[in-house]
Amino acid sequence: MYQTFVGLEIHIHLNTATKVFCGCKAHFGDEPNTNVCPVCMGYPGVLPVLNQHALELAYTVSLALGCQLSHRTLFDRKNYFYPDMPKNYQITQFHEPVGQNGSIEFALADGSTKKVRIHDVHLEEDAGKMIHAGDMTLVDYNRAGYSLLEVVTEPDLASGEETEAFLQAFQRVVRYLGVSDGNMEEGSMKCDTNVSINKAGAGLGTKVEIKNLNSSRFVKKAIEHEQKRQAAFLEAGNKVSQETRLWNENRDVTETMRTKEGGLDYRYFPEPDLPPFVPDASFLKRIQDAQVELPLARKQRLVREFGLSREQAEFVTDARFTADFFEQAVRASAASGGSAMANWLMGDVQKELNHFNLTLEACPLTAGRLASLQSLLDAGRIHTKIAKQLLVSIFEEDKDPETLLQEKGLESIATEQQLAPIVESVFSAHPNVVAAVKAGDARQKGFLVGQVMKATGGRAAPDLVNALLAKFLA
Amino acid sequence: MDPTFETRWSQFSAKKQAYLAYARPMEQKVGSFLTYRPDVEAPQAGALQGLPFAVKDNIAVKNFPLTCGSRMLETLVSPYTATAVARLQAAGAVVIGKTNLDEFGMGSSTDLSALGKTNNPWDFSRVAGGSSGGSAAAAAAGLVSFALGTDTGGSVRQPASFCGVYGLKPTYGTVSRYGMTAYASSLEVMGIASKSLALTEKVYGVMKGRDPYDQTSLDPAPGVARAVKTIAVLDGLTDLEPAVQRAYEAALDHLKALGYRLLPVHLGTLDYAVPAYYTIATAEASANLARFNGIRYGLRPEYAENPEDLIRKSRTAGFGDEVKIRIMLGTYVLRSGFQDQYYTKAQKVRTAIRNDLQKVFDQADLLMTPTFPTRAFVHGDRSMTPYQQKLADKFTVTANLAGIPALSFPAGLEEGLPVGMQFMAPAFEEGRLFEAAAKFATRVAAPDCPGTSLDWSK
Amino acid sequence: MDTKELETTALLAQIELGKGDLERLGEAVSQMLDNFRKMNELDTEGLEATTHALVTDNRVRPDSPVPSDLADALVERSPELEDRFIVIPNVL
Repeated sequence: MYQTFVGLEIHIHLNTATKVFCGCKAHFGDEPNTNVCPVCMGYPGVLPVLNQHALELAYTVSLALGCQLSHRTLFDRKNYFYPDMPKNYQITQFHEPVGQNGSIEFALADGSTKKVRIHDVHLEEDAGKMIHAGDMTLVDYNRAGYSLLEVVTEPDLASGEETEAFLQAFQRVVRYLGVSDGNMEEGSMKCDTNVSINKAGAGLGTKVEIKNLNSSRFVKKAIEHEQKRQAAFLEAGNKVSQETRLWNENRDVTETMRTKEGGLDYRYFPEPDLPPFVPDASFLKRIQDAQVELPLARKQRLVREFGLSREQAEFVTDARFTADFFEQAVRASAASGGSAMANWLMGDVQKELNHFNLTLEACPLTAGRLASLQSLLDAGRIHTKIAKQLLVSIFEEDKDPETLLQEKGLESIATEQQLAPIVESVFSAHPNVVAAVKAGDARQKGFLVGQVMKATGGRAAPDLVNALLAKFLA
Repeated sequence: MDPTFETRWSQFSAKKQAYLAYARPMEQKVGSFLTYRPDVEAPQAGALQGLPFAVKDNIAVKNFPLTCGSRMLETLVSPYTATAVARLQAAGAVVIGKTNLDEFGMGSSTDLSALGKTNNPWDFSRVAGGSSGGSAAAAAAGLVSFALGTDTGGSVRQPASFCGVYGLKPTYGTVSRYGMTAYASSLEVMGIASKSLALTEKVYGVMKGRDPYDQTSLDPAPGVARAVKTIAVLDGLTDLEPAVQRAYEAALDHLKALGYRLLPVHLGTLDYAVPAYYTIATAEASANLARFNGIRYGLRPEYAENPEDLIRKSRTAGFGDEVKIRIMLGTYVLRSGFQDQYYTKAQKVRTAIRNDLQKVFDQADLLMTPTFPTRAFVHGDRSMTPYQQKLADKFTVTANLAGIPALSFPAGLEEGLPVGMQFMAPAFEEGRLFEAAAKFATRVAAPDCPGTSLDWSK
Repeated sequence: MDTKELETTALLAQIELGKGDLERLGEAVSQMLDNFRKMNELDTEGLEATTHALVTDNRVRPDSPVPSDLADALVERSPELEDRFIVIPNVL
């Protein structure tokens, strides 16, 4: 009956070494008010100086999101008072943002994809941080002036679930591009959500802005809460008021923000202290070179090229490093073990990473080593159980599989010639069990297998063991 | 006076006591400074070695106050130095004080300072002009060899003309704005007031040039040098004080006698210069002054219920009336629903004015006007209300709207008070201003203010 | 400018206007606005707005930290401090 329209205003901290308009370090976690200078403290007489890298990252994201890139981008002042604002205007982009009219495609839970239109991408500065304590508020301007990229979508999302999936996909995109950590919980990504509902086919409803959402899960919950709340108004024949509401994560509801008197007239006007920027050919080439295959496209390609299942491809492409690792490992291993490689990563490798509390980026397992391991398996020189053992050893000892294989003498015993004598000696040692099995007691067969494994230190190729047992028991 | 002017001033350190014996009583009467620290050692090396200079108190000099003539910043000591000042210091010049100004640079008399009163050295009952009145007065009274001011709509040139000294407004961007408390960002530039034209030119040469801390700063890029031959003058010039009218006509005669061709031009857009200027200036000011709220520095009320209360109390107590008026005007013209008809309109009028001036400079090398329609008026003159003063800014604001350089030069005395005339040139053509003013000075020497002298330097 | 507009404007500018202020300052503001309206006499059809005074080329700064030894000096100038935090009454 009701259609839901969700549009997002996403802010991400860009990975620049310095702030967007001054040379102060953009570094998290330092003593309060130490990464500050007259510029980011809004002293009299100071001027903003534009960070080249921040601008490049803004263009990089814009291009990745399929936007039209501005030939002449401008900055503007957005005027309002707030204690965490050093100048009581924010330098942002209003008239001529870096990118406009793009789109991003993402996968929904059922595997289908959806496109969300991007209204614009623009560069701006962050404000300081406030900590509320008793009757005081403590203000820290370390963060004031951080490079912030704002991505505004059209109201193309239709549910809380969809939006959550979108945010996860968006996060993945910015991480793939290496422009931001895109982490909502840590504060490197924020999302203001605009929600409206209306009778199906009647167009957009009255939009309500929701702030204070610091995870994609909360975004989903807030949207669902709003859907119900707004529906109640419409059911009763009333209108929804256009307002800004805050998400209360303790009570799982949105609440009216204490309305700021005087309304919000930002009085945008072009920033006189920063000249327009006209990207030239070499600048645009750098932006082009910074592009990467985006997560969705990569996922689709891995399914096509390596025959991965959707689940496998999703896991592997969740982080760019993992996807790169995967492809490197597959190309380096002899046989085309795409699926096998994915399973490694999803299963045992992840298990070891969790156990040792490491990331794939910073662990002893390299793509080359995993490829070697798989190659040993493919060549039959080890079998699965040994391979898993070797994997653990790689983590524990930081050595190549080949080396470990030699050192530990774990090469498979895989020929009848090697294994037959061992089977025979096991049979000799346990004649009663052999007789029982021959008489039909299949359960005891496991004992014999175990003995062979024990005698070979686990190196006997299981298939061969079964085959030989079958042969000798016949 | 030139070339010995500089030589005599370079005696500042050596003749310190004699200087102080002269300067302190003079300063008592004039009141140029909000902070006066003349007893400092001057460096002995550099192109400007040992020259003492004053800096308007809205320009940052490390460890000196930066009050901007306002209660809001009465206790602020600057932690850093403006780039342009640093360059002068590196060339051996020494800051000996911060001069009085109309609060935040908003005014044409310096009487709108919240922290001091400055008198015109030529007649203490009169204003020194504004907003850089303290700087012009200090230069005229022989307290410094030159003084820095800020020129947003004539704030260096008008006081220079009131005080009988040279006042240079350079091309926008050729002097870094880093360290200059912003009033109207796209209109203003640091300027120089001095009795010596040669020293003005030299000081500009040291200060100018691109600064990485100011992305609107430019290296001067003058065109092919050409001698000044034709000077455009406004036809149908009216509304001048009779004394200024006389001085203006005399100046025209002098220029003719010097061999310049005078070309009457009609600047139809001049009538709109004042509204366009004040619309843009107040708009930018409303944003530039928003940072002053008592939180990070400046005036903070004893008690506030919440941050909004703190901010409002700080600004209400900290700002004078004129500042409040301009902030509200500027806020209004940017408001949604009004921006197109005021602010955007003003920016277009600005374009029209620039185009008009371009046409003038296609036919002439310089444009000459009186600097201001009157001479220095009396403190508290009811016929020169703040509103009247604004309307009178029309000759000076034109240069700021176009970003072009302009020089106010002394053009004689009328009934004992100086009258200044102004040359304007195309962007980057400061050279023409200096050339023509120097020639003019051969016929009308810059006057010495009675009671002032450089004798201490003998 | 009517009182309501003036009050709204003063609020946006975070300036409190007392009774006397409203009249005195309001009159000055109205007078200037009248002067501003004179601009309507000039036809500016087809003209671009001038938003920057003089611009020649792109200006950007490299993303390298500039050590600022001024942090302490800046913090000291705050009217009220607590362990390097700048203190204001509670926002909430």
